[in-house]
Amino acid sequence: MDWTALVLSIKLSLTTTLLLLPIGIVFGRWLAYKQFFGKALLQTFLALPLVLPPTVLGYYLLVAFSPNKGLGLWLLQTFGSTLIFNFKGLVLASIIFNLPFAIQPMQRAFAAIPRAIREAAACCGMGPLQVLWKIELPLAWPGIISALVISFAHTLGEFGIVLMVGGSIPGETQTIAIAIYDSVQTFDNPSAAIMSFSLLLFSLITISLTFWLSARYEQTHD
Amino acid sequence: MYNPYLKPGLKLSFIVLILFCSPLSWADRVPLVAAAASVKFALQDIAEAFHRDTGKEIRISYASSGNLTRQIQQGAPFELFLSANHAYVEQLYQQQLTRDHGVIYALGRLVLLTPNESSLALDGQLNGLAQAIQQGRLQRFAIANPKHAPYGRAAREVLRQQGLWKLLKPHLVLGENVAQAAQFVTSGAAQAGLSAYSLALAPALKNTCRIQLIPASRHQPLQQTLVLLHNAGDSARLFFIYLQQDKARAILAHYGYMRP
Amino acid sequence: MTEAAINIKLQQRQSIPLSVQLQCQAGELLALVGPSGSGKTTILRAIAGLYQADYGVIVCANEIWQNSPDKLFVPAHRRHVGLVFQNYALFPHMTVLDNVRQSLADVPKQQSKTTALMLLKQVHLQGLESRYPKTLSGGQQQRVAVARALSRQPKVLLLDEPFSAVDQVTRRKLYRELLTLRQSLAMPMLLVTHDLEESSLLADRMALLHKGEILQTGTPEFVAAHPNSATVARLMDQQNLFTALVLAHHEQTKKTYLRWQGIKLEAAFQPQFPVNERVCWMIQSSDILLHRRGRPSKGDRENPLQGRIIEYMESNGLANIRVQVNCALKIDISIHVPLHVARRNRLGLHEDIGISLLSNGIHLMPFQILRRDT
Repeated sequence: MDWTALVLSIKLSLTTTLLLLPIGIVFGRWLAYKQFFGKALLQTFLALPLVLPPTVLGYYLLVAFSPNKGLGLWLLQTFGSTLIFNFKGLVLASIIFNLPFAIQPMQRAFAAIPRAIREAAACCGMGPLQVLWKIELPLAWPGIISALVISFAHTLGEFGIVLMVGGSIPGETQTIAIAIYDSVQTFDNPSAAIMSFSLLLFSLITISLTFWLSARYEQTHD
Repeated sequence: MYNPYLKPGLKLSFIVLILFCSPLSWADRVPLVAAAASVKFALQDIAEAFHRDTGKEIRISYASSGNLTRQIQQGAPFELFLSANHAYVEQLYQQQLTRDHGVIYALGRLVLLTPNESSLALDGQLNGLAQAIQQGRLQRFAIANPKHAPYGRAAREVLRQQGLWKLLKPHLVLGENVAQAAQFVTSGAAQAGLSAYSLALAPALKNTCRIQLIPASRHQPLQQTLVLLHNAGDSARLFFIYLQQDKARAILAHYGYMRP
Repeated sequence: MTEAAINIKLQQRQSIPLSVQLQCQAGELLALVGPSGSGKTTILRAIAGLYQADYGVIVCANEIWQNSPDKLFVPAHRRHVGLVFQNYALFPHMTVLDNVRQSLADVPKQQSKTTALMLLKQVHLQGLESRYPKTLSGGQQQRVAVARALSRQPKVLLLDEPFSAVDQVTRRKLYRELLTLRQSLAMPMLLVTHDLEESSLLADRMALLHKGEILQTGTPEFVAAHPNSATVARLMDQQNLFTALVLAHHEQTKKTYLRWQGIKLEAAFQPQFPVNERVCWMIQSSDILLHRRGRPSKGDRENPLQGRIIEYMESNGLANIRVQVNCALKIDISIHVPLHVARRNRLGLHEDIGISLLSNGIHLMPFQILRRDT
């Protein structure tokens, strides 16, 4: 069986998750702590990927990055490639699609930290960054981890968007989900079976590992 | 001791991120080919032969010709396109995305297929099919989506000619491409379908289905066209030439393609 | 104004109205007393830098922490304040020792450990440094919070109702510890509380707050005995609050005469209140004498009144008595006497009783309409 697709899927999931870590922390924290004009609107936008079918997002990405005009054309001229039909484009699409899965749990985790504790940290002389590092992150860590696990798993299973903006290019955008689809289509059931099973196994191991880590952490801190 | 996993976890993440940010460098050197789903098995064999003869690898992406055309229009980095008809290549040429009008390298054929255990009678005039419809023995009939698959359009033409299109319309199951249409039949989702001859000769289909070749006169010729895209590199050009040489032609003939 | 004092001026109209001006000397413990919503916690947070009032000037130990005219506002982490939160706000993921060490981050590790241990010893928590906050009792947590606040070497120590979350017994213990501890502290201390007893036990001075304004400052005893308005008297939990008419002021005898519900009262000389005008007056229980039974009243000369006991409650070694003075209108006066006195005089419900109001204890205030309490 061809391992490229599985490696590509893992690579996509890892990259997306790691990029979502700072994005989630920044936005989750901001939404948890600050009130500002337009906050409700922003939260609505961030929650859109939860309800929109992936094809809608795929459509807008195709339109935005089409190399014939506008942003796509500029990207093509400046960098030599656009953000569709390549791995970078998939990462961007995955990040957008996973925003609510990453931000909402992190937001809840930050909001659960009593304000008095953050204020006490300030009174101990800690600047905002130190409060983040020493107080907020350690206390929000379980929520952050679950956000990352959900995003990772969600990306691993991504299909609709990858199909629309990826183009099933082996080694570049042919994730294992797409590869399974292709194999079934071309009567290659043995391949499809092996790939499906390995994906299932991998997902089980990943999620179990994370739950175990999370439980251990809570044990030592509760 | 705040969180024992925090620092090592972050360190690991950074290493992983840096490693994986580097693009797969081999991807740049291996040419990318867009091929209609109908030519999958033939092209795989040709690609293997190409590799044996030249040592070069190629990457192939299969979909319906219409889908691939759209992707090329949107800047997908393909270097060579094997379309199931000529019209799509013309369209791309008009948009100056290809080098030239392309080369018609083969003519495709349609087959009517049904699983081995079905009671459907197969014949070139599709009489058996008409009977099955009238007797209510047919729930689903699979073709490729005429909107973006040339084989699907040809299938529609054939059915219209036989006066079966209106009858079949409520029973139609549209495959995204001609391979998926065939897969619907082999999996039993559809009791019968019209798909590509080149796919039917693959072992997975041959052993599970009965097929009936549809006379070529029933539809507009399925002119399989080969064209280099404007960013084609040396390896792509090499493969382009290889596809028109004897070894490739033999393989194509083996899979039921007619010479143009 | 000595160097180590803290000067606070805050003004604000909306959301939480504030209009205060305060000072606190080095080593002085000032209590901010008032009902909930009076703004006391807001003032504390403004001093700490956790809250920015619309207009404020805060100067502490010659450091300007806020100066609205110059648009200057020093954030909390750059002020050296020690703040003990109402629910302590200890860092749950750190040991007691680490909690106390956070303010000492830029000090070498060994030294910060030593300092923290020393602070913990000062608050009687030695031996508990490796414990986590959730395993500690309320009183222990409070002590950690105090140690943590002190580790910052603060220029001002702020305590936000730090005793409200513990039981009575623990609270008394913590009072004693604070009183001992503060003797070694040289910075100004501000204590927010709604408990008058706490304020009188711990504070050198108090500021009474009501709806964002300071009604009166002074020692707790003074404010209790000489409230400058009936509102203050009410807030200071004075039970014996009445209205009367000023009859006359006698320069020679240094007395002021009042008519109260048909009774003529002799009060301390307070000529600032015009004759024939109504006033409010109050008297503390400690200025009311009990006429002894069976013994003719000799020294019970001042403002003698007869009445009947309508409420009698014993608690904590005191008898809390409500006396209905014999008048057409039912007027009650509350007095507390030591239990043994009550027993000796065989006091009880429905007993007749004679009391005297000491004239120096009758304190006059400007007239305002009093709500009749039930």
